Amino acid sequence: MTEAFLEENPQRVTEAEMVVAIPSYQEARLIGYPTTQAALGLKRYFNDRSSVLINCDNNSQDGTKEAFFAADTEGVPRIYLSTPPGVRGKGNNFRNLFRKVVELKAKVVVVVDADLKSISPQWIKHLGEPLCNEFGYVAPLYVRHKYDGTITNSIAYPLTRALYGRRVRQPIGGDFGFSGDMARVFLASPTWSEAVAQFGIDIWMTTLAMNNNVPICQAYMGRPKIHKAKDPGIELGPMFSQVVGTIFQLMNHTTGYWMRVKWSKPTSIYGFGLGEVEMPPPVKVSEDKLAANFHEGFDTCREIWRRILSPDIFNKVLEIGQLPKEQFDFPTQLWAKTLYEYAASYHHRTVDEQDLLNSLIPLYFGKTLSYVRKTERMSVQQAEEFIENECMVFEETKPYLLDRWGE
Amino acid sequence: MAKILIVDDEEHIRFLYSEELTDEGFEVITADSGYQLLERIEKEKPDLVILDIKMVDYNGLDLLQDIRNKYYDLPVILCTAYDTFKEDMKSIAADFYVIKSFDLTELKNKIKMALETAVPQSREQ
Repeated sequence: MTEAFLEENPQRVTEAEMVVAIPSYQEARLIGYPTTQAALGLKRYFNDRSSVLINCDNNSQDGTKEAFFAADTEGVPRIYLSTPPGVRGKGNNFRNLFRKVVELKAKVVVVVDADLKSISPQWIKHLGEPLCNEFGYVAPLYVRHKYDGTITNSIAYPLTRALYGRRVRQPIGGDFGFSGDMARVFLASPTWSEAVAQFGIDIWMTTLAMNNNVPICQAYMGRPKIHKAKDPGIELGPMFSQVVGTIFQLMNHTTGYWMRVKWSKPTSIYGFGLGEVEMPPPVKVSEDKLAANFHEGFDTCREIWRRILSPDIFNKVLEIGQLPKEQFDFPTQLWAKTLYEYAASYHHRTVDEQDLLNSLIPLYFGKTLSYVRKTERMSVQQAEEFIENECMVFEETKPYLLDRWGE
Repeated sequence: MAKILIVDDEEHIRFLYSEELTDEGFEVITADSGYQLLERIEKEKPDLVILDIKMVDYNGLDLLQDIRNKYYDLPVILCTAYDTFKEDMKSIAADFYVIKSFDLTELKNKIKMALETAVPQSREQ
């Protein structure tokens, strides 16, 4: 685990009731805006509390630190934390944050992404205020374009919901609130891993909150999340393996909990009354690229699929691979069973962990292509209903996971 | 026997639901508006609430928020004649929703699911 390499604390802050943290890597161009908005939120809604802004950085060399310190924070003090040179990872930034939160004896912690372009001071209020009441963890709730957040829609949301029985729509939303007590839980958890130290951190925190029965609420943000959205067919990177690997890894640690969960329950929502719901900007996807990435898997992953999947599911995957473009469909139940068989295979260590995760990516592209085609003519709201129905399929199919897990 | 609270300002709906759900073995109580709903819930301690979205003097989605703020895990099923309410994100705080119908099969299925939902209260590894 990484120790904080560098800390700059020009105002010598030693205690703070409230922390707003902004994790970053190479965000010099954008970090000023969320910093200023966060400071406004603190001044406007939490002026009676001692507070500090913390930039948790990966030793960016593009001037992120300077941009953070240059932003106008209306007198709210700032701390800059960094991992050592060469140590990357959003999770490593968070781990530095958890330590600092404990050290500062903070009660309320809000985290917002450094590349946010739509943040308002109210986001700080909505993510922070529930923590002043009975909640211990706050996940964001924003209207996202139907093609933004496809790992969330296809994997993170339906899986965590079916596993842990809580409906948290954005479990890897990037913007969160958690209590100082939760920071201690995070620091003490024996489930930290290399994937968690990277992009697995968001799903790790949400899962730990669910698994520890911490009262969770979803904070309605009013505005859509506008940030550097990515085309799921082109930009995926290691994030996929880190998020999905963390979900599978945590399933091993929490078996006694999720096996007892049946169906799911809604989660409290905080923060309505922000007026008109603003619609998110469109996100472009390349269907051709998704199709090409899916079909490529038949050349590169066929043998590993055969080892991970049961003959029935393997054959069905082969069948949909033969479907002509205009008839292409990856049925939701097949997708749920595929993910459940992957989780069971990860548990049973049937194949190398990284090979397993890499081989899921082409199937995920196939599922995403199917989702894009089915929701093509749907409004954002209709696509939400579509996803809700898919989640029900995951819940109904959960006994299949229990069977596979026990084999 | 599970106790169900039906909140609806239409008398015939309260009557129909009460009859059908009593036949199913539930204990049913009713309210004809959202007036003092939280106090009623506090007093009666229902296991599940069936809540009409559009009542003359009350917005069911606002009542849902009030219920959820106070009773984190109390199952609530929204009932409505139209599905346009889903455009309002407040509706996701409900366990389920059903479109009003004289055929109560869907409602009964959702009641069963809501009552058998199990989320453990303590961590066990």
